[in-house]
Amino acid sequence: MSLFSIITLVFVIGIVWGGFIFFIRKAFYYESKKSNG
Amino acid sequence: MKQQEFFSSRWTLIIATLGIAVGTGNIWRFSRIVAQNGGGSFLIPWVIFLLLWSVPLIIAEFAIGKNSRLGPIGAFSKTAGKNFTWMGGFIVVVSSAIMFYYSVVTGWCLYYFFSSASGNLLSQSNHLEFWNQFSAGYLPLFYHLIAILIVAVIVFRGIVKGIEKVTKILVPLLLLILFLLFIRAVTLPGAFEGIKYFFTPDLDTMMDYKVWLNALTQNAWDTGAGWGLIMTYAIYMRKNEDITLNASLIAFGNNSISLLAGITIFSTVFALSSADAISQISQSGPANTGLTFIYLPALFKKLSSSHILNSVFASAFFLALFFAALTSLISLVELATRTLIDFNVSRSKSILLVSVFAFLLGVPSALNNSFLINQDWVWGVGLIVSGAFIAFAIIKYDADKFRQEVINGCGSDFKIGRWFNLIIKYLIPFQAILLLFWWLGSSFSWDPQWLNPFRTENFGTVIFQWGIVIILLIVINKYLYKKS
Repeated sequence: MSLFSIITLVFVIGIVWGGFIFFIRKAFYYESKKSNG
Repeated sequence: MKQQEFFSSRWTLIIATLGIAVGTGNIWRFSRIVAQNGGGSFLIPWVIFLLLWSVPLIIAEFAIGKNSRLGPIGAFSKTAGKNFTWMGGFIVVVSSAIMFYYSVVTGWCLYYFFSSASGNLLSQSNHLEFWNQFSAGYLPLFYHLIAILIVAVIVFRGIVKGIEKVTKILVPLLLLILFLLFIRAVTLPGAFEGIKYFFTPDLDTMMDYKVWLNALTQNAWDTGAGWGLIMTYAIYMRKNEDITLNASLIAFGNNSISLLAGITIFSTVFALSSADAISQISQSGPANTGLTFIYLPALFKKLSSSHILNSVFASAFFLALFFAALTSLISLVELATRTLIDFNVSRSKSILLVSVFAFLLGVPSALNNSFLINQDWVWGVGLIVSGAFIAFAIIKYDADKFRQEVINGCGSDFKIGRWFNLIIKYLIPFQAILLLFWWLGSSFSWDPQWLNPFRTENFGTVIFQWGIVIILLIVINKYLYKKS
């Protein structure tokens, strides 16, 4: 696998899956904040 | 009409909306388009357009639905003004027309699930012939009916007891099945070659404008952004529910699932295919079904020496595909049902009318693949117009006022910045115009009789069908406004 492919893999997976996980964590955070009043 | 039902929590809203976004396009179209557009070269613009098309339009849909508490027709009269109610009508027509043939596609997936679970599918020696026999007969009609009946029962039961209850089970199950298939695929010997191709960009291909336009199209067609479906589910959001964070989660979740499915399919095809893997993935086949219904069943046979184990994996794949299609079909039926509810028709009468019409108007697509391809072409391109109309509604309302009062209003966890105004006012209309010119312009070269409205895929058929719908909607605009 070339360096260029690794950079693309990190870019795509990092943004898409990383973004998804980030937003899930944020949603959990705000939900627990709301339920704790 | 007073709003009565709400999704019971943020998570059930997210799961149901993810069910809209994740459809068959994530599984079969995404892999084919990646293969046709040079693997990694496609993925970079695909990620960029996730941010420039899908996220802003999903935010817009959530906000319009939550603010108006009405289906697309009423929502447009409230957001864009009474003279533009017909635009909401156009969105309803586009999504309903897609519903008619999408129910047929859902039926195909169900049939293939039953065929693989019974072991019949993998016993076939010629999968093209198996598909041709199936699609030329009356079985697609029967499975189209079954799909509509299942969805009618779910939508009839309402938001909490129907849609929420079912999607709460189906969407996590779909994710679980896809994840198990992903693990199996990436552990196959030779799977790494597929992953390598999937992520290797080619600079020359990346400079090709068609790759960028295909990446934008994929975001426009498979994230559910601009369809009016998310707008419809947003009617049932609680008052203190966030918009921006939920919308971003759904857009990124949808594309995450596309990636998961893409890696799974590339790994499987590269590991098991004896012929040229890329040409197998990129071939569309009849009704764009080649990869899914013809080539993949042939590959599932090579997974192991056990017929039963291979059938288990094949049936898991088609079950996931069926769940993906079903949860999207539910939202298409709910959109049409909600439109009638806004016209003061009861839910039970609305669902009866919608399912009877959906069945009858889906019959030509069930019996004739050319008709299905024509409808997919005409209304698929129509979705780009729907997306532009949603941006137009917000521009008419005043983008900055809309952002501050509606999106950043009650319940918002994430405050959205002024960049949203720029994207809605300039970038979405620009992208929509570009896509329309490209798709309609390309269609001139596909067909020498480009103006003939009775051809399958050309300029004439789009203008003819859109023209009839738009003229009719403009004529009855006042009526639509009063009724909604």
